[in-house]
Parts: sequence; structure tokens; C-alpha cells
Amino acid sequence: MRVWVTLLLVCAGCGAFEFHPYELRGTHRDLHARSLERLLGAEPKQAFRFAVVGDMQLFLDDSAAAMRDLEQRGVDFVVQMGDLTEFGSTQEYEWGVELLSRLKVPFFVVMGNHDALGMGQKLYRRTFGPESFSFTYSGTRFVFFDSNSREYGFPGDIPDLQWLKTALAPEPAVHNTFTFSHVPPGNGDFDDALVEPLVKLQQKEGVAISFHGHVHQYHDVQAHGVRYITTDSMKGRSYLWVDVDGTSVQVRRATF
Amino acid sequence: MAAHGGLRASLLAALLLAAREARPEPAHEASPWYVPDHAAMQLAGAIGFLSAGPGWSFRDDTVETALLVGWAPPALAGEDFVTFTLKGQWRPFRLDAAGWSVRPLMVGAMLSYTVGDDYFAGLPSRYDRGYYWFRTALRPALLLGASAGRPVEALNLRLMEGYFELVATDYRLVQFVRNPATVNVELFTLALGVKLRF
Repeated sequence: MRVWVTLLLVCAGCGAFEFHPYELRGTHRDLHARSLERLLGAEPKQAFRFAVVGDMQLFLDDSAAAMRDLEQRGVDFVVQMGDLTEFGSTQEYEWGVELLSRLKVPFFVVMGNHDALGMGQKLYRRTFGPESFSFTYSGTRFVFFDSNSREYGFPGDIPDLQWLKTALAPEPAVHNTFTFSHVPPGNGDFDDALVEPLVKLQQKEGVAISFHGHVHQYHDVQAHGVRYITTDSMKGRSYLWVDVDGTSVQVRRATF
Repeated sequence: MAAHGGLRASLLAALLLAAREARPEPAHEASPWYVPDHAAMQLAGAIGFLSAGPGWSFRDDTVETALLVGWAPPALAGEDFVTFTLKGQWRPFRLDAAGWSVRPLMVGAMLSYTVGDDYFAGLPSRYDRGYYWFRTALRPALLLGASAGRPVEALNLRLMEGYFELVATDYRLVQFVRNPATVNVELFTLALGVKLRF
């Protein structure tokens, strides 16, 4: 009997049991808070480098290759542009986190429409934290928000422009502002009624670059004074790396 | 929530009992096909913490089907999950030794339905056709397993079987096919269960 109970506990401990595909389980919790703690706790840097990787979805082995390539790149942190998962399942969240953790640097994950499926919103909040968050690192402000309007049935407050207005409010010590959201404005999955207000807000508050995923194709365009960049998916075997030094910003695309 | 849980637990028990009671006596008389000839109770396997329900066997127990109601409580799964699952199984071999009846191979498939507004079985109207190619409320899976059992006369059971199943749900299968290096052994999770054959 004792043997069986022990065996059962071992099986449960190593994750052999799954009670439901969308169960809220696992040890990964509040990862953004931990990433921030590490990032802001380290020696401040005048010049720094971060990477922006696209949709991972069904391209986990490609993502693993991206992580290997990124190891040589010496980035201070990584941003994943959403659609970490295809089905929004707990296990896929775990695979995504495991892949990003291979780099040993802090990482931040944008909420993608696939990640919100099923219990996805609760899984995201449990694993990473709130969908909308921002921080300032070495004089550059990073602002993340949820732009998956269609996923929630176009409720009118996705993206949450009220929140964004506050997050983008001018601050004296900020040289650059970058925003990160999954669906780019103008895409059919972005609330039509909010495209113009968002574009105007980003222009008014001097956003340098607005980063997006979702379309699985690299684009880099200037519109209304703001640079809009979408990333390839990981299937496209490319990612972006960004060098920031004061007000100087250089975005480069790496293929692997 | 506790009352909720109690209700579900008694529902599971009732289903098991119903399957048990539905069997007319004496047992050797051929029953109509729709009368269950076994009841199953399972731990894990992506359809709940516990699931249970009646089952039907054909062709000397080599072909089986079962209908399970599963439940995962918030204390264990972070949320309340209720599922209905239809299973089909094929167990081509039987080995009899020392009072045990062993089925060394089971291959099967299941389709589970998760109850609730957070999941869709048909694509909601906010999406264009084909926006998602899968349905979050419907979960197909492949099964691989084995079982062993023996008669328990004290309980009037023809056979009491213990089984294990390796469960490969759709998202694990699809991710494994495309990403074998990352997914690896996590293609499967484990389910354990008991079947009572009347």
C-alpha cells in the first residue's frame, strides 16, 4: 500500500497527472514581478540591449533555436510579443516559459489572442501578472497592454486607452517610450473605433516604437510620427534586437 | 462552492450506482445492449481529478465504450471543471494466469466536452470562419494503456480491473508532431482507474 501511495505522489510531483487542459497549476507565478525585480535590481546601465521575439504558437522547436541564437547576442532582457501558445492550454504556457527561461535573463510576455482562450486570461494573470503593465529601465519606458479586441468581442475598452493614457503620461527622466501589444492597430482584430484614438495618443505622448505580433510577418513602418514594427512568427526564424543608448535607438533583425 | 462540490460527488456516486443497479439479475442472462456491463472510475487524464460513469463491452470485452462525468475541484485545479467524455477502446489481447486476467495493450480514443461559458464547441460569431481550427470545449485525445483484474465474488463482480492510460490530448499531439524536441515525453499524461465488471 505504502509503495502505491509513494508512486502516486511521485507521479503527481513530476506532473504526470493532468486534471484539466486549462487547470491553474504549476510553480510559475507572477513571473513579470520577478523579471522586474531582477532587471531593476541589477546595476543600472547607460546602454542596454533587449530582444523582441514573435508568436511562438506551434513553433516551439524554432523558438528553442531562437533562444540558442539569442544566447550569443548578450541581451539584457527579452519581450515575447504574445501567442506564446496555440490552444491557450496550461501545458503550452509551461513550455513557453521553459523556453524563455533558457536564456537566464528576465523576460516579459505580451497577452496574445491564443493565450486568452479557455481559462487563458486567468492562466496569464497567474503566470505573469496583469495584462497591462509598464516599467522604466535606464531612462526608457516600456508599456505593455492587451490589444486583442476581437477575442473579447470588441467590448470597447480593449485596448484600455484610459489606462494607456496614464501609463504614457510625460515623465521627466524618460528619454524613450516603447509600447508592446499583440494585435497591431488597423488589423481586423483590433477594435476599429479605437485605432485613431490609439494612434493619436501614441503620437501625442511621443512613443518611439509601437511593437506588435499577430500577423506573423515583419513590417517596419512610420505612421503619424510613430514607428510601427510587427515581428515574424518564430516559424519565420527571425527576431529583433534593439540597442538603446540614451535617446539613440537601433533596431536590427536577426535570422537564425 | 462546498455544496457545489458535494453535489458533484454525489452525482458521480449516483452514476456509478445507477450503472450497478441497472444490471438485471441473474447475470448470465443476455442483457439488452444498452444496459451497462461495467462502471469505471478514473483519476486524472485531462478530464477531471476524478471521473466516473457506465461502460459497455462487446466481443468478449475486446471492444469497449464508456461515458464518464469528470470533475476537478478548485482546490486541486484552481477552477471548477466539469467534463463529459466518450471513450472508445480496443483491447485485442488477453492473458490469464494465476486468477488474473491481464489486458497488456489498450489503444483508444476519447472526446471530452468541458461545460461552461469560457469554452466554445461551435465558433462564436465574433470570429470569421476558420479563425480557430479547434474548439476549446471539445478535446479529442488518443489513449494507450493496459489493465489487469481478477474476480471479486464478495462484491459479486465478474472482474475488478485496475488500469492505466497514457493520454495524448490534441494540443500535446499537435505540438509533439511539430516540436518533438521540446514536447518530448510530455506528449502523454497519466490516468489511473478501476473498472468494475458485473
